Amino acid sequence: MTTQVRADMSRDDVDALVTDRYLDSLLAAADRHADDAPSDAGLDPGVRDAARVLGRSLVRVHPSFRFEERLASRLAELAAVQAGVAAAAGGSTAGGAIAGRLLAFPSADASAFASAASGGDPLLDAILRGDLDPTDADAVERAARLPGSRRPLIGGVAITSAAISLVGVAWVAWRAAHPAAHPAGGTITRIARTDHVRRVAAAMSAGGLGGPA
Amino acid sequence: MPARSSGCASPRDRCNAVARAVFGRGGQPATGSVVAFDRDRSLVEAARRDPAQFDALYRKYLAQVYAFALHELADHHAAEDATERTFLRAIAALPRFREQARVEDGPEASTFRVWLFRIARNVVANERRTRRRRPAASLDLALGAGLTIADGTDLEADAVTRDEAAEALRVLRTLPDDRRRALVLRFVDEMSTAEIAGILGRSEGAVRVLIHRALGSVARELGRDRRGGRDRGDEGRA
Repeated sequence: MTTQVRADMSRDDVDALVTDRYLDSLLAAADRHADDAPSDAGLDPGVRDAARVLGRSLVRVHPSFRFEERLASRLAELAAVQAGVAAAAGGSTAGGAIAGRLLAFPSADASAFASAASGGDPLLDAILRGDLDPTDADAVERAARLPGSRRPLIGGVAITSAAISLVGVAWVAWRAAHPAAHPAGGTITRIARTDHVRRVAAAMSAGGLGGPA
Repeated sequence: MPARSSGCASPRDRCNAVARAVFGRGGQPATGSVVAFDRDRSLVEAARRDPAQFDALYRKYLAQVYAFALHELADHHAAEDATERTFLRAIAALPRFREQARVEDGPEASTFRVWLFRIARNVVANERRTRRRRPAASLDLALGAGLTIADGTDLEADAVTRDEAAEALRVLRTLPDDRRRALVLRFVDEMSTAEIAGILGRSEGAVRVLIHRALGSVARELGRDRRGGRDRGDEGRA
């Protein structure tokens, strides 16, 4: 949306507005891959040249594919835990679409599961609990100054993976004590159990698991 | 307003950016007023229903956040760390995100992008405070020869372009934080002044002046460097 020059604007404001419009046209020209850079007689030549140099130099760089996929996995893990916590708290989820893989944690332990999923990052814990707004610069700075507020990210993935595994073990233990109320859950369990029995039987018939030779 | 950053094939693809009539609900009469929807509304709503759907927002904004962090921190590994923290915090806080699209922001506006970059700004600022140092050469090393798009057919021109880019980055690093940040958001992430104002917590007018002055500083520094280079060349010839 274009801002108009008003009579009450200072010289600085008007110059800034002219520069802003020039930058809009410069970036739009780059977007069109146009060779001809726009010209503006009202603009200081030095500022115009600086804008052109920065337009050519400040390029967007994509991170490595490996990093992209690693972080995507990490976000997916956290998303799975969040979905489970939301389900346990009775919040809305994706309906039946992902119900089959939701982890219905006991709500009392929701924050503990979320904490485990954060990989030991106290700031992320606080955000997950709703105690910290990550857009609030002052609050984030205060929280970051607290002892132990930083965690090594290099080990973050391993820590989180381990935490997710612990979450999985805890869920299996809890699930064993709480049979599925949904009929589909029982069906899935029966299928898994049958499959497991078949695998054990096959292993035993092959001489594994201490069965008869 | 430039919108190079969008991956949509056409403006129509940004379906949630199209202004639509708002009709009354719950027995209220239709007002007929028109509101501008946040262009990321559908993605944000999907991610709220199912956190796994956050992946679409992540893929859309990954390069923008990473590039912002890289130009701010001038270190490849630090930029990856900052990017990781930013997206983890974003997905954790998404249930509390509030869309604040305004009609005057135009159909390209994304308050989600502004919200995400406010998180990134805090992560980067915290990282800079922690490190207490400003690497002088690592950005050049990180970006290497791929810093600018060179056509490869004119080696002399490519060298000039690379020198020019290195000079520009050096000058950029000498700027105060708010000026440098505003230029990076304007040029690298191609944001409007309204979006930058939302991220930096300033008025649009203040951001325009900030960018204008920052460009003035860059122009003076580049001019000084060029004059210095010419002087050194003259001395060499003499």
